[in-house]
Amino acid sequence: MSFRRFLIKRTVIAALLTLIAVSIIFATLRLLPADPFSALVASGSLTPEEVEQVRAMYGLDDPIYVQYLRYVENLFTFEFGISLTQQRPVGEIIVPALVNTLVLLLPALVVTAILSSLAGMYAGWNRGSWFEQSSIVATTVFRATPIFVTGIFLLIIFSYGLGWLPAFGMRSPLANPQGYVATYASVDFLRHYILPFTATVLFYSGDFLMLARNSVVERKGSEFLMLHRAKGLSEMEQLGRAGRNSLLPLVTYFALRTGMLFQGVITLEVVFAWPGIGRALVQAILNQDYPTVQAAVFIMALAVIVMNLTADLAYAKLDPTVETGDV
Amino acid sequence: MSLLEVDDVKIAYRMPGDDVHAVNGVSFSIDEGDNYGLVGESGCGKSTLAKSVLGLLDDNGEVRRGSVRFDGRDLLDLSEREWQSVRWEDIAYIPQSAMDSLDPVMTVGAQIRQAIRKHRDVSKATANERVAEVFEMVGLDPDRTGNYPHQFSGGMRQRVTIAMALALDPDLLIADEPTTGLDVIVQDKIVDKLIEIQEEIGSSLLLITHDVGVVAETCDETSVLYGGKVMEQGDTDRIFGAPTNPYTIGLKNAFPEVDQFDEQAISIPGSLPDLTREPTGCVFRNRCPFATEECEGSHPALVEVDGRLSACHYTDRADEMRAEAADPATWGIDVRDEGDRTAGVGNAILETRDLEKWFRQPQGILDDLRGVDPDYVKAVNGVDLSVREGEIVGVAGESGCGKSTLAEVIAALQDRTGGEILIEGTPVDELLGEDTKEFRSRVQFIFQDPFDSLNPRQRVRAAVSEPLKIQGHDAETIDRRVRRTVEDVGLRPAEKYLDQLPTQLSGGERQRVAIAQALVLDPTLLICDEPASMLDVSLKANILNILREKADERDIGIVYISHDLASLTQIADRLAVMYLGRIAEVGATEDVVTAPKHPYTASLLAASPKTDPAVDRRRVLLPGEPPNPVDLPGGCNFAPRCPKAEETCRGEEPERSAFADDGHEAACYFPVEDVETELLERYAAAREEEVGEVVEDGPTL
Ligand SMILES: Nc1ncnc2c1ncn2[C@@H]1O[C@H](COP(=O)(O)OP(=O)(O)O)[C@@H](O)[C@H]1O
Ligand code: SF4
Ligand code: SF4
Ligand SMILES: [Mg+2]
Repeated sequence: MSFRRFLIKRTVIAALLTLIAVSIIFATLRLLPADPFSALVASGSLTPEEVEQVRAMYGLDDPIYVQYLRYVENLFTFEFGISLTQQRPVGEIIVPALVNTLVLLLPALVVTAILSSLAGMYAGWNRGSWFEQSSIVATTVFRATPIFVTGIFLLIIFSYGLGWLPAFGMRSPLANPQGYVATYASVDFLRHYILPFTATVLFYSGDFLMLARNSVVERKGSEFLMLHRAKGLSEMEQLGRAGRNSLLPLVTYFALRTGMLFQGVITLEVVFAWPGIGRALVQAILNQDYPTVQAAVFIMALAVIVMNLTADLAYAKLDPTVETGDV
Repeated sequence: MSLLEVDDVKIAYRMPGDDVHAVNGVSFSIDEGDNYGLVGESGCGKSTLAKSVLGLLDDNGEVRRGSVRFDGRDLLDLSEREWQSVRWEDIAYIPQSAMDSLDPVMTVGAQIRQAIRKHRDVSKATANERVAEVFEMVGLDPDRTGNYPHQFSGGMRQRVTIAMALALDPDLLIADEPTTGLDVIVQDKIVDKLIEIQEEIGSSLLLITHDVGVVAETCDETSVLYGGKVMEQGDTDRIFGAPTNPYTIGLKNAFPEVDQFDEQAISIPGSLPDLTREPTGCVFRNRCPFATEECEGSHPALVEVDGRLSACHYTDRADEMRAEAADPATWGIDVRDEGDRTAGVGNAILETRDLEKWFRQPQGILDDLRGVDPDYVKAVNGVDLSVREGEIVGVAGESGCGKSTLAEVIAALQDRTGGEILIEGTPVDELLGEDTKEFRSRVQFIFQDPFDSLNPRQRVRAAVSEPLKIQGHDAETIDRRVRRTVEDVGLRPAEKYLDQLPTQLSGGERQRVAIAQALVLDPTLLICDEPASMLDVSLKANILNILREKADERDIGIVYISHDLASLTQIADRLAVMYLGRIAEVGATEDVVTAPKHPYTASLLAASPKTDPAVDRRRVLLPGEPPNPVDLPGGCNFAPRCPKAEETCRGEEPERSAFADDGHEAACYFPVEDVETELLERYAAAREEEVGEVVEDGPTL
């Protein structure tokens, strides 16, 4: 099978998965006992007649399949509608929040993937060394501790204790930058960034470290490394080859991890008051703002699916022995 | 001064409990341009010794005594950095298992280039030229340097490692079992290539192998190792012409020649010595039939006998021992009455008629829709084979010729796609009818790999009784039959083995458990797929003897599949040679071996190395590898590689009866009369031409 055919096949599968995810979101929200407007009636802000009007406006009177189709069409064209509580398009709420989250998590994940993998390879190569033992213990502790606990510790030490870094939010209350560049390329942002970033890096470091270490340990006794050594390659060059041969599981895991990017994001963002998608979701749920909830969940699901697709493709590209047909 | 001088080297591996004393005071030296052989069963310390010369011992290994001098320089004192410059530049290494020795995620060209550029300051382009050059030298297509290791067959990968070793014109080549696991024909070509190139570039060769034949044919001098000690050392012709050491005698016996059919395999019973203590007595004493109290006391020193060195207290009795060793009884093996073979008289147990197993090649969905006919791999393509009571039928052929598929189809482990299989006259479909019980009680299978075929958590008792339980026997019968069978395959007393786990057994013992598992149901037909290929020579002989015995005693029919012709000719009453899914030749073993009619059979037989150094054998340089059995040309399958092929051969496929004489049949229009002139000389001539084209030189570094 050619790579192109493989690509098409995988993409179709990913699209189907997305459709399924979307349908589940739809069904779940429709199955909830009360619709959002009953709450408004109960609270006395709308009369039943007004509710009828609003329902018609939102198309909730149409037959269910019409609603479904419209809903799917909207999601796939990234038309998320109007927020029920904030009277703005959902996109305007979700997109900046999503960007904030990605700005925090993606660099953290990339940094931890690279650093901990390298450390893990070094640890695996020097098996039984002091470095190996201590790095495993340290990263395992951080992996086992919930991310918000690490976050709270960091806050206690560096904000409240030493007072070096701010404790809340993404920028000082007084700063009011416009546009992404001004927002993210500032010292003020950086000071807010360090702690949640560190918490994330520490949390994920254990997985990559162990994975890299284990694959290098596995490669270490292999015949091909012996031949590399017999050719006169230096220790570091041999480690380099062992590392290259361990790349496959690491890349796969990286993609998988990125797909599960939003796991733990809620507590992280709540602890650091980071205005990201996790916090937006929590607020939307509390406010029963269904269009926003829908959009946030959809985006998270989409991220998982797209990242898994990338993982598959990277796998096929990286491993010469994987004939694209077998995947 | 010799190029390499290994002096009194002692190597041990540190282990949690006791250290393993792998090499115990070995000395030898290799002169410039010489071929030196190290032989011995696996575990005798050959690889350990080779690795110490390159400074490649595993982390827990250490040289405890002695020195290794290369070109006058003491290697053991080198720092890791100094080692790096010696490796490959001066001493190159051809590893034991080419299958796993190449970096799977790097193209083979890049791996060779890496070796060159590590030591020479040359541009990538110059390095690439050299890569292409060494590729041609070993007979690989230089256009394939950009391929990854998995795109090459085993034999081709071994060529890649040889090409890599040649890249820098090293002074010494160390080849660790370079052909183990390859077919005889491929082995012959690779050894030939290796020797040719080594002579061309004038380097010395240290050849490590357990195959007496390969050493006897290629090395000037040899050391025979056992238990980390040199048992016999000196001129190869003398050593294998008339061995003086009991171990060498036993080892040579265990390697039968292809034409020694009908002789009982004589193995060295017992297993390797315990290396966790330094040897105090003769390392061979627990297996040596001539051991005395004196041997218990001290390991004999190497003394000169008859122009070579031998380590035995009784070197003066060498002639006597050699004569006695030819008698199986000396080694405690029951002598079998060879005259008592019932071959060919019993009823037919197995008959296949035009048996076919075609594998459909995957093809695109579009082709499917368009109704394009799919391609098939014709793994088994019209095979007629019969086996009688008490008869062992050997099936030989290169890897990929369909032997294993044939075995699995007959054993109903795979469905057939055409033809008929009759077991004692009953079509298999009838036997397989409602459940497979009836079939399984008659037909049993023994797999190649004793390590994989047993469940690691199942004790011997459970493993052997399982087939009986499936058949629904009562506990008492099961116990009785399990004990009997276990003892029958030589695991005596049964008590000692019944409660052991596979990990507690040696390779040979495991394979015997597998045989017991197959025999416990008293099958009428036993199918063995390379049952001894993973085992050491002495164990192999052992398994052969057990199978022969069972065939004679219980009147079982046995299909014995192997690429090892020597074992086949020893054990089989009739021999069938397969090529690309068809039987090229079949007949009584003796007829086939002494007068092969099909050019392929003749080549295969001629490719087996001779353990007798006095025999001068011409190598079989059969061109190419078997083609992919998908798009086979019309006519005779073998025509593209056959030196005798003519127009007729390419037209219509020869029937198996094209040559027939008293049960000896060959599918060939022009049966071989004289192997030497009709085949071997023509192969060699064709090769000369090919080489002549290549040699018009490229740049050298
Ligand atoms: N890394 C190791 N640790 C412990 N024992 C080893 C190691 N490598 C080899 N041995 C032992 O050393 C002995 C010699 O092994 P080896 O040199 O590989 O023999 P050969 O190459 O002749 O088969 C065997 O008993 C083997 O089990
Ligand atoms: S010294 Fe004794 S045990 Fe060793 S080989 Fe000679 S006879 Fe056998
Ligand atoms: S039939 Fe022709 S091509 Fe085939 S083996 Fe015989 S001589 Fe060779
Ligand atoms: Mg070895």
